Amino acid sequence: MVISAGIDMGVQRVKVAILKDNQTIAQSQQFSGFEPTKAAEQAFEDALNKAKLSREDIQHVTATGAGVDMVPFADSTVSMMGADAKAGAYFFPSARTVIDVGAEDARAVKCDENGILQDFVVNARCAAGAGTFIEAMARALEVQMEDMGSLSLKAERASSINASCVIFAESDVVSLIHREEPKSEIARAIFDAMAERVSSMVRRLGLNADVVLVGGVAKDVGFVDSLKRILGIDILIPEEPIYAGAVGAALVAAKRARRRQ
Amino acid sequence: MASEIEKGTKYIPEMAQSEIDELKGSIKAASIKVIEDNIERMKKSWKNRPKAMEYFDEISNFFGRREKEIQEQKKAGKKVIGYSCIFAPIELILAAGAIPVRIGSGWYDTAKLGDRIMPVEICPIIRSTVGAKMVSLSPYLELSDAVVIPLTCDGRTKLSEILSDYKTIWLMNPPRVKDDPHTLGMWKEEIQVIKEKIEKLTGNKITRKNLKEAIETMQNATKAFRRLQDLRKGAPVINGRDAMLVNQTSLWDDIGRWTQKVNELCDELEKRVEQKEYSSYPETPRVMITGTPMIWPDSWKVPNLIEESNPQGVVVVDEQCSGDRILYDPVGVDEWTMSDMVNAISERYIMACTCPCFTSEHGNEDRINWIIDRIKEYKVDGVIYYVVRGCILYAMEYARIKRVLDRMNIPVYYLDTEYTREDVGQMKTRVEAFLEMLEARVDI
Amino acid sequence: MWELISLVLLWVIAAGAVLAGTLAIWIWSRNLTRKMSLLRVFVQVIATIALFVVLLFIPLPWNPILTGLTYSIALRLTIVFVLIAVSTLVLGRFFCGWLCPYALYMDLLSRLRKALKIKYWNLPERLNNALDALRYVLLAGIIVSALVLGVLHPDVWRFVIMLMGPFKPLIIVFLTPIEPLVNQLGGTLGFEMWGTSFHDLSGTIHYFNGELLILITWLVFFAFTALSFMVRLSWCRFCPVGITLSIVNRFRAFKWLPIMHIDKVEEKCTKCGICKRVCPVQVTEVYDEKRGNVTASKCIHCFRCVEMCPYEGCLNIKFAGKKIYKSKNWLKQEEE
Repeated sequence: MVISAGIDMGVQRVKVAILKDNQTIAQSQQFSGFEPTKAAEQAFEDALNKAKLSREDIQHVTATGAGVDMVPFADSTVSMMGADAKAGAYFFPSARTVIDVGAEDARAVKCDENGILQDFVVNARCAAGAGTFIEAMARALEVQMEDMGSLSLKAERASSINASCVIFAESDVVSLIHREEPKSEIARAIFDAMAERVSSMVRRLGLNADVVLVGGVAKDVGFVDSLKRILGIDILIPEEPIYAGAVGAALVAAKRARRRQ
Repeated sequence: MASEIEKGTKYIPEMAQSEIDELKGSIKAASIKVIEDNIERMKKSWKNRPKAMEYFDEISNFFGRREKEIQEQKKAGKKVIGYSCIFAPIELILAAGAIPVRIGSGWYDTAKLGDRIMPVEICPIIRSTVGAKMVSLSPYLELSDAVVIPLTCDGRTKLSEILSDYKTIWLMNPPRVKDDPHTLGMWKEEIQVIKEKIEKLTGNKITRKNLKEAIETMQNATKAFRRLQDLRKGAPVINGRDAMLVNQTSLWDDIGRWTQKVNELCDELEKRVEQKEYSSYPETPRVMITGTPMIWPDSWKVPNLIEESNPQGVVVVDEQCSGDRILYDPVGVDEWTMSDMVNAISERYIMACTCPCFTSEHGNEDRINWIIDRIKEYKVDGVIYYVVRGCILYAMEYARIKRVLDRMNIPVYYLDTEYTREDVGQMKTRVEAFLEMLEARVDI
Repeated sequence: MWELISLVLLWVIAAGAVLAGTLAIWIWSRNLTRKMSLLRVFVQVIATIALFVVLLFIPLPWNPILTGLTYSIALRLTIVFVLIAVSTLVLGRFFCGWLCPYALYMDLLSRLRKALKIKYWNLPERLNNALDALRYVLLAGIIVSALVLGVLHPDVWRFVIMLMGPFKPLIIVFLTPIEPLVNQLGGTLGFEMWGTSFHDLSGTIHYFNGELLILITWLVFFAFTALSFMVRLSWCRFCPVGITLSIVNRFRAFKWLPIMHIDKVEEKCTKCGICKRVCPVQVTEVYDEKRGNVTASKCIHCFRCVEMCPYEGCLNIKFAGKKIYKSKNWLKQEEE
């Protein structure tokens, strides 16, 4: 029996997953805020409580994510790309491409059936390919972020947003509102723009079916719809995509724990 | 009179002396700190670093021993001839009794100064060199009596103009197509012109005797250089960063002394090969870096990441003009007559060169062959394709190199970066992921 | 009886000396950029001596059909011709670089030129290529003229000898002026001379009379000697024997035949151009061709390119599929 834990130190949130014999038994998340280490501790404790376990029961803890160095109680680390690859293959054994769109960056990885990382590509330069874009645009549209998705699905077509940069996109959106373009079409355009960025990144990697989408943004139906349309391929999404990184890290932890035995 | 117009047409604007002094002081201090820091990190990664490396550590400090030596030799009457690119004919400079030094700038902080007069999209090496000139930071550039600038790329073409306001610049026109007889003839004439300029500046004639000696000095340097690189083919007895440092110091050190010290280092390393005393674990993923030059000290950013990350990698070979390409090709003299020697020198500097500034009607595969050969000889596990943003030539060749490496089943990662320390976090993630990939493959 | 034993002994000693000399050069020659060249000069000298011996001294077996001098000349020429032809089919133009006495003469002239520090002149590439084509025209001309002129003579054997005109080793031509001297020398040493008697040869072979031919021969000889001080191995570029032999490497039908050729490993070649520059006959294929068999039709197999290539394992001499010699990092001259 192997019990392992994975901690994904994202820029916005910390996610923790605890696995027993590669089955998820507990998950928890916390906002990172200004004290990410503390947030990590809290999330970890919370997950342990849910699993009714104590720290000593966990045989190996692996950390991943942007703040990977801020988890003092982690036994080892793994890159986000490695964690994504593992998680993708875990959720869907047929997965060969895993796209992870986080709050501030996006990446795509190529993996094999065992979740071994084979190639990866990162988009860390353009914020329009990440989650905060939706946040900023929702503000401009004066819509709740959670409603953006369903709003965009109502549209049949997308307005045209000319700006290639998110900073200018915001003023573009404002002028579209003044021209009384329907908000649903603007929302759809916003998701399309995001999906374009992500898909051009994926194409640099090479598109291999099946494609899995993880990360916080994967729950947004509007984005998923745009991405499916623009990539021209069906996309698999796990039940709780935001925990993919943590689950991937926990899988790596389990492998390392088994090796040490 | 031209004086008023002249003042207005300089590239670099007038700066207050106090500002110059302040910037120079702070950047120099920062640079010395980076040098010391890099050396500390290299020592930390290599517990039993040989004593022979201490010489190179000392020479790596631009502002220390070497600067003083050149100053003294200048006072004694010797001329200093700088060069921006390894196309400059070192043998001719040595034969005339002058001191050759490379002036390429590796300071991140001066790139910000260069931003004042050119856009950030331009090659950071150029911006950095210009910034260094603005505060007279580079000891070698300041000490040069003349600077040879081969116009290999657009950046250097304009750099030569900017520097010509302050220094005597000797331009060289390497052809973009080097395997045509008429373009090669053009280059040979360029070498002839430079030869005459060197003779005029130093007042010394380049004779058959002193040219032969100079060629032999450089051949000995090549011999030692190759000896060191051969030692990197097996399990690592020297870490990549240390070898890269040794390689690069040849660009500004006294070449005879450098050769001797490298031979001493190789003697030590050969003993270690026998005793199986390695600098890194033999199973460490073996990485090759190819792309734009990484100039000491700031550009050690990426090699530091490669050799310090978890999992660790070791740089076993590189295809860069700041590393394994510097002294690899010898001058092959057929008959020791003046014309044959000069002919051999002219050919050596451009024909074997794999710089992407060249193209060819016959396939332009020199660089591909070089990379393939090194991958096989050094048993490379993965390639980092390193490009500083703004370099069109290297960036464009990536597409073809990637296909070649895909066919060889060697993973390659395109790592583009800038002259800034701020993206270290992001670089770290990418490098670590790449090394994880290599490690997984090594396991399998 | 003793004569036979002493003859055998002489041969054994000669063979031993040759072998010893070869090994001595190979082992003790330190400079890697000179080793092959030194060995080649040694072999050339041995070969020249051997050729003279075969042509002048070796007694011939009886013959039922023909008798007399014509026959001895014809047979000797045929032997040498067959040897050259076979060696070329098997080894490519190895004869030219290693066994031809005229090439030895050219090489010695080259060394003299080097000692006098006279700079050589490289033919510009266009001229070089044009002359390449000219060679074949020259050869065709010689053969045609031989055929045309020979038919005018009734004797069949003489016709055969004449046809071999372009292919006979040209040393015979140069022996003529010194032949009386050689005959005398041989006589005093006790060796019977089956001479070559050019006068008889000229009568049987050529339409012109002997004197004119000798004059032409000497003129050609001096012209090429003088030219060799400017252009390296000038004769070898135009030698009719050489051109005929080069047909083997030139046409794809024959190119696979020789089992010895120069091979290039593609990825090790940096296109540094040293091979093209040091080639004494200005071959460009060794540089232009990217991989595999890079032997040109003009290549005389002196292997200077292989000797001077500074990248290990790039240019190799392949014999029957095996690499018998590889280019070395000649900076690493073997330590004492």
